[in-house]
Amino acid sequence: MLEKGKLSTRQLTILVMLLTIGDSILVIPPSTTHYARQNAWISTLIGMVIGLLAIYMYSRFIKLYPKLTLIEAIQKAFGKWLGTVLSLMTLMFFLIVTVGSMREVSDFVIAEMLPGTPIPPILTLFILIVIMATRLGIEVLGRTGEIFTPMIIILFLILTVAIVPQMDIVRILPILEDGIKPVLRGSISITAYTFLEPVVFLMVLPYVSQQQKITKGLLLGCLLGGTIIFLTLTVSILVLGPDLTTRDIYPSYNIARRISIGGFFERVEALIALQWMLTLFIKVTLFFYAFILGLSQLLKLKEYRVLTLPTGLILVSLAPIIAPNFTYYNTVFDNYWVYYVITFGLVLPLVLLGVAMFRRALSKDLKSQN
Amino acid sequence: MKRRALLLCVVILIQLFVTGCWSRRELNDLAIAVGIGIDKIGDQYQVSAQVVLPSQIAGSKGGSPQSPVNLYKATGNTVYEALRKITTLSPRKIYISHLRILVLGEDLAKEGISSVLDFMSRDTDTRNDYFIVVAKDTKAEDTLKILTSLEKIPAVRLFSSLETSEKQWAPTSTVTLGTLITELVSKGKNPVLTGVVINGNVDVGQTQKNVETVDSPTELKYSGLAVFKEDKLIGWLNPEESKVYNYLTNKVKSTVFYIQCPEGKKVSLDVFEAHSKIKGSMHNDNPEISIEQHIESDIGEVQCRNLDLTNPKTITELEQIANHKVVHLFETTIKKVQQEFKSDIFGFGEVIHRSNPQAWKKLKDNWDQTFVNLPVSVKTDIKIRQLGKVTNSFLEEMK
Repeated sequence: MLEKGKLSTRQLTILVMLLTIGDSILVIPPSTTHYARQNAWISTLIGMVIGLLAIYMYSRFIKLYPKLTLIEAIQKAFGKWLGTVLSLMTLMFFLIVTVGSMREVSDFVIAEMLPGTPIPPILTLFILIVIMATRLGIEVLGRTGEIFTPMIIILFLILTVAIVPQMDIVRILPILEDGIKPVLRGSISITAYTFLEPVVFLMVLPYVSQQQKITKGLLLGCLLGGTIIFLTLTVSILVLGPDLTTRDIYPSYNIARRISIGGFFERVEALIALQWMLTLFIKVTLFFYAFILGLSQLLKLKEYRVLTLPTGLILVSLAPIIAPNFTYYNTVFDNYWVYYVITFGLVLPLVLLGVAMFRRALSKDLKSQN
Repeated sequence: MKRRALLLCVVILIQLFVTGCWSRRELNDLAIAVGIGIDKIGDQYQVSAQVVLPSQIAGSKGGSPQSPVNLYKATGNTVYEALRKITTLSPRKIYISHLRILVLGEDLAKEGISSVLDFMSRDTDTRNDYFIVVAKDTKAEDTLKILTSLEKIPAVRLFSSLETSEKQWAPTSTVTLGTLITELVSKGKNPVLTGVVINGNVDVGQTQKNVETVDSPTELKYSGLAVFKEDKLIGWLNPEESKVYNYLTNKVKSTVFYIQCPEGKKVSLDVFEAHSKIKGSMHNDNPEISIEQHIESDIGEVQCRNLDLTNPKTITELEQIANHKVVHLFETTIKKVQQEFKSDIFGFGEVIHRSNPQAWKKLKDNWDQTFVNLPVSVKTDIKIRQLGKVTNSFLEEMK
């Protein structure tokens, strides 16, 4: 067994919630509002529904591939050669998401908080913690999530409640003025980026202690995370209006800057940024862990910890390279990333389910023939 | 043992990173600008920064009396360039996170303000908590030179007095960058900015003399609102008309206005709540606006001799007189803005956008033309509630 830890159902829920919030809370509002304008909140709801359906699909996965992680399942379903190729592609997906999220971290920190600092030092600090968390195992990560959650919820509530005086309901009107098409286009990015990423949990599900409660845990996590994203987006539109939300690169940070209670509770945006750092950390660690674990399973290693440090090094070097500037990153994100995530978050699990069901039907056929 | 040594090395190395020292800005390397003024000279931008001198603000035992602020100005091809050029004059780099007021020169405003606003919205140091005003009949840099009493830092005085006058007297309007940009972009509303004037001589105003006498020779004063069409300044509203703007945009928290009692003298009403409901509708492809203004007020001052405030009929009469006056004021102001300025500053376009989005799609491209002949009906509902401390005025008895 590569991983000896066990996750409780609550820890699973919490991890799903924190992953869903991930960096979506920071980067989704401009992308979705660009298409859906003031109706972006409807896009979120559509995304959440699709996310719940996807989660249901992942939970079917456990029944058909019990106690197997995603990589092991791919190898079982497709055999040695095709399975290895597909596994490598899936691992590549995890790696790219990790690098992308790390790039998000460094972009955010450099743009808003520490301008002038180059990318490698910021990411070095970040990746050291990620490596440490990965080496300690999934159970430690689950417990860390549990410890973080009250802080994240409180900071989120502070942000939302403190900004109520600056909300104006007219900014969210008129509803559906251009029909449902822009809303649907807006919901594509939010679905892919926010709600299809829990596919990474398929790597972790065998380690949940109560297997029969997995579905509930996943669904609840998705619901909670989705609610927070929905609230963040709606607050963005209510406070800034659709125009400023699209134009700002990090509208939530802008909103945190505007908090001013009684003339003394001001300039607290760094506190709110803490919340995003925590959720970003969980996301990077989860994908990093999935990559390391998957690679170890593919290469049939006895111990996955040896891979952590080299991978971390590679990631820190990769992050500045993947996109030469922000515009490039944004274009790839808006136009291509979406389909990449849909392939691995939706299509791959569906294909695996299909293969398993086909095999089952086939073996039942054979059994009945005997 | 070897592992421990390695760990120790790593821990020491990490300390180089966690202190956040990479791009540090020490406090005594920063010149904290509280006010920025932007003027246009030819096709160059002149940026003036009012910088706080901390030694003069903190502690009362200053050596020689110095001004609490310094003004640095520089000219450049763009605002960003000019701001950096100031380092040739100032010993420190200008830090604008604590900005309280941004003054735009009148010449710049007439040419168009949008070119300078992008820098303010893009720079990571800027926030959304300062106000933007236009200098009237003067240059922006001059407005930052005047020393003020009661509030040592003039820019802070500009900020507080704009905020207070909006809350208490309502002919001024606080405008932040976010609001301004949203209104500039919106096709259904044009922006307004408050105008600041200098009463008196600028040269006297920048010396200590200005705060030494009881009656300051030079003062900064807010006048009416500047009306913009797209991003260009096209005219000014007087204080009465500015109040109408504030009523219609629901910015009035408290104000005072007078009405005439039947005998011709004046009664002051103290407004403590004002709320306007603007409804848009389409009649045969023609937009229409109806305004309902609710005002709650108290009697503040009575100069009439024959006013019996204990009689409910008098109160109703006064309310009617107030209604007539306010309706008349609203209608004349709206007409003036429609016909003279042809710029929809009240946001009627946005009202139509929200109530009839399909119709708005056709109207939005020439809204400013449609606005000129837009039928606007005004209804007011003014209520007089309290009388203050006394009932009838003693003037009644003074026969």
